[in-house]
Amino acid sequence: MNALRTFIQTRRRMLAAGAVFLVVAGFLQFAGANPAQSQTITLTAYPSDADPAAPDSKAWKDALPIAVPLTAQAGTYAAGGGSIPTISARALHHKDQLYVRLEWTDATDDESTARVQDFSDAVAIEFPARAATSVPSICMGQADAGVNIWQWRADSQAGIPEVTTIHPNALVESYPSTEDLFFTARAAGNPVANPAIGAVQNLISRTFGTLSPAATQQVLGKGVYKDGKWSVVFSRPFAGPDVDQASFSSGTKTDIAFAVWNGSEGDRNGRKSVSAFVTLSISAQKLPGTGGGNDAMVLTIALLSLLGITALGVGLAVYGYREGRTS
Amino acid sequence: MPKVYNWQIGREMDYRFANGPAKLQFAAVFNTNRCIACQTCTMACKTTWTFSPGQELMWWNNVETKPYGGFPQHWDVNILTLQEKANPGGQTWDVSKKDPAKAPYGSFSGKTIFETADQVNNMVTGYIPPEDDWKAPNIFEDAATKHSPTGVSLPEHAGWFFYLQRICNHCTYPACLAACPRNAVYKREEDGIVLIDQNRCRGYRKCVEACPYKKSMYRPTTRTSEKCVGCYPRVEGTDPLTEGLPMETRCMTACIGKIRLQGLVKVGADGLWIEDRQNPLYYLVNVAKVALPLYPQFGTQPNVYYIPPRWVPRDYLRQMFGPGVDDAIAAYMNPSRETLAVLQLFRATQSIVFSYKVEQGPKTGELNVGGQKRELFNDTVIGYDSRGKEIVRVAVDEPVIERPSQVAMNTI
Repeated sequence: MNALRTFIQTRRRMLAAGAVFLVVAGFLQFAGANPAQSQTITLTAYPSDADPAAPDSKAWKDALPIAVPLTAQAGTYAAGGGSIPTISARALHHKDQLYVRLEWTDATDDESTARVQDFSDAVAIEFPARAATSVPSICMGQADAGVNIWQWRADSQAGIPEVTTIHPNALVESYPSTEDLFFTARAAGNPVANPAIGAVQNLISRTFGTLSPAATQQVLGKGVYKDGKWSVVFSRPFAGPDVDQASFSSGTKTDIAFAVWNGSEGDRNGRKSVSAFVTLSISAQKLPGTGGGNDAMVLTIALLSLLGITALGVGLAVYGYREGRTS
Repeated sequence: MPKVYNWQIGREMDYRFANGPAKLQFAAVFNTNRCIACQTCTMACKTTWTFSPGQELMWWNNVETKPYGGFPQHWDVNILTLQEKANPGGQTWDVSKKDPAKAPYGSFSGKTIFETADQVNNMVTGYIPPEDDWKAPNIFEDAATKHSPTGVSLPEHAGWFFYLQRICNHCTYPACLAACPRNAVYKREEDGIVLIDQNRCRGYRKCVEACPYKKSMYRPTTRTSEKCVGCYPRVEGTDPLTEGLPMETRCMTACIGKIRLQGLVKVGADGLWIEDRQNPLYYLVNVAKVALPLYPQFGTQPNVYYIPPRWVPRDYLRQMFGPGVDDAIAAYMNPSRETLAVLQLFRATQSIVFSYKVEQGPKTGELNVGGQKRELFNDTVIGYDSRGKEIVRVAVDEPVIERPSQVAMNTI
C-alpha cells in the first residue's frame, strides 16, 4: 500500500512539473525567446519597410533585441576592459542593406580625444571574412580565416578638434601651413586621421596586431547618447566588395560578435568588453506580428495556442491534484 | 619572452623582441656643463617638425632645468616612483660586477621597466602624463635648490641647478616599440632611429604610456602619436647641403653652446657596441667613459650620452646617470690630451664625423686643477666623413686674433 502511495505521489509531482513547464514554454514561445538556443544566441535580421538608419527610427520599435553578455578581453596583451557587462543588439534589413542597432549603458559620454588622457567611447561588430572557410578566432581572426570589423567611434563622429575650441585662450601666432601634408597621419592615408571616413571604420584583421583598413570604406553609422545610453546603428549593403569583407544575403546565417570600449575607463585597443560569436540570421520572412493583415491572424493563432497550452497545463495539474487526493 | 643583453645595466634582461642583426645606431653626446639653455635646439626642432595644428604642446627637443623642471612635469620622478613601488628598496647597483665592455658601470640589481610590468595588461611600466603636464615646457627655468648668498664652490655646489637637454634616445630596446600592440613603432636597421608608422598608428597611446623619457607625444588633430624622427633625412644624407653625406640633426647643428656631437656607432647582434676606437662617440662613451646614459636603470639602453654637470651633488647624479658618474666627472675635470682634442669636434661641422685622428702639438701651458698639475698641449683633431675624407680640423688652442685699432665705422 505504501509503495502504491509513493508511486501516486511521484506521479502527482511529475504532473505538476509538466504543467509548469507547459505554461512557461507557452509564454516563452509567445514572447519570441527560445531557451533551447541560450548557448548559441541568434540575432535575427527581419526585413523592414521603414528606413532604420537612425538609432531612433520607428523601424526599430518592433525589432526583437537580444542581450549579449560581454566580458573583459583576457589572456593576451593588451588585455583589460570589462566595464560594460552587456550589450543589446537588434538587426533589420532594408533594400538589401543590413542594419545593426546596438545599445548599451554607459554613465559617461566620452566623445572627445582632444587631450592625451582622453579616450573615446566606441563599439565594433566583427564578422568572419567572406574568404574564411572556418569560423575565425574571435580574437582578431587568424591567418587563414580573417575577420571584417566595423568600428564606430564617438570621437570620429564628433570630428577633428580645433585647438582654439579646446583652449579658447590659446594664442597661436600662425601656422605656416595647414595642408594635409602637415597632418602626417592623414597624409599617410591613416583612416584614424581622416575626417572624410566618418564615424565608422571598415577594417580587416588576420590575428593580433594586423588590424588594417579594408579596401573600401562603405560602412555607415550613427550613434546617439541619451539618458546614460549609447544607441548606434551600423549599415552596409549586403554584397561585400571583396573576399576580406563580410557578405550577406536574405535567408542565410553568419557569425557576429561585439566589442565595446568605455573611454573614461581608458579602454582602447585590446582593453575592451567583448562578446563571444553569436549567430546572425538574415530572415527572408517578416517578423511575425508586424505589418498587420495576415500578421493579425498569426497573432490570434499564437494567442489561442497559448491559451490552449495553458488550459491543458492547468487541466493536467488539476487532474494530478485530484488523483493525489483520492488515493 | 626573449633575453637581450643590456650593457648599460651590465646584464641580460627581458625584452619583447630578440636582438636584430648588427647595425648602425644613432647616438649623441651632450655636454651638460656647457649648455646655457638658450633653447636654440628647441626652436630648431620646433620650426622643422612640429609647427602645425595639434602639435602646439609637442617639443621633441626640450631643455629643462633640473632638479625641478621637466617636460612633461615630473616625468622622471614619476617613473622612478612607479619603479620603486614595484620593487621597494631593490633598485640598486652592484658596482663590484664591472667589465670594461659588458658592464662598464657594474650590474643593475633592480628591475627594469619591462621587468616590473605584468606583460598582459602592460608590456612596460609607465603612465600617461595628462595634458596639463605638457603645458609648461620650461617650468622652473633657472630655479636653484636654494639661495647661496656666500657663493658656491666645487666639487658640489650648495645651491645648484643644471640644464638637461632631451630628445628621443632612439633606444636600443625602445619601450615605445615594445608597448605598441600594433607593431606600428619600428627601429630602422640602417641607423637605429625609432619611428612611429603614421599609417598604422591608431592613437592607443601605449607608447606615450611606456616611454620612460616621455618622448612619444599625442596629436589630437590626427588622433595618432608622433615622436622625434632623428631628422632621418639628414642622417640619411638626403639633405642637399651635404651632397649625399650623413648630416647631424637640426637640434645638434643649431647648438650655440657647442655642447652636442651626434653620429652613428656600430652595434653588434649582441647589443654591444662594436669596437671602433677612432669614432669620436665610441671614444667618449667606451674609452674615456666621460659620457653616460640617462637613467640607464630603466633598461631601454638609451643612445644619448651626457657629460654630467661637475658641480651637482653626486647622489643626485648617480640616480640620473648611474654609478659611472664619479669617473666621468673626473675624466672631464682632468681630461687626457685625446679627450680634450675630441671635445673640440663638438659643432665643428654639420657632417657626421665617422672617425678622427689627433696630431700632437707643442706644450702651451700648465694648470693646477684641484691640486693636480695639468699640462696643456695645442693638439689638433681631424674629423673624417663616412668616405674617410677629411671634413674638419680644429686645434685645442683657439687662435687669438687682435683687431687693428683702426677699424671701419659701424662695425663691432
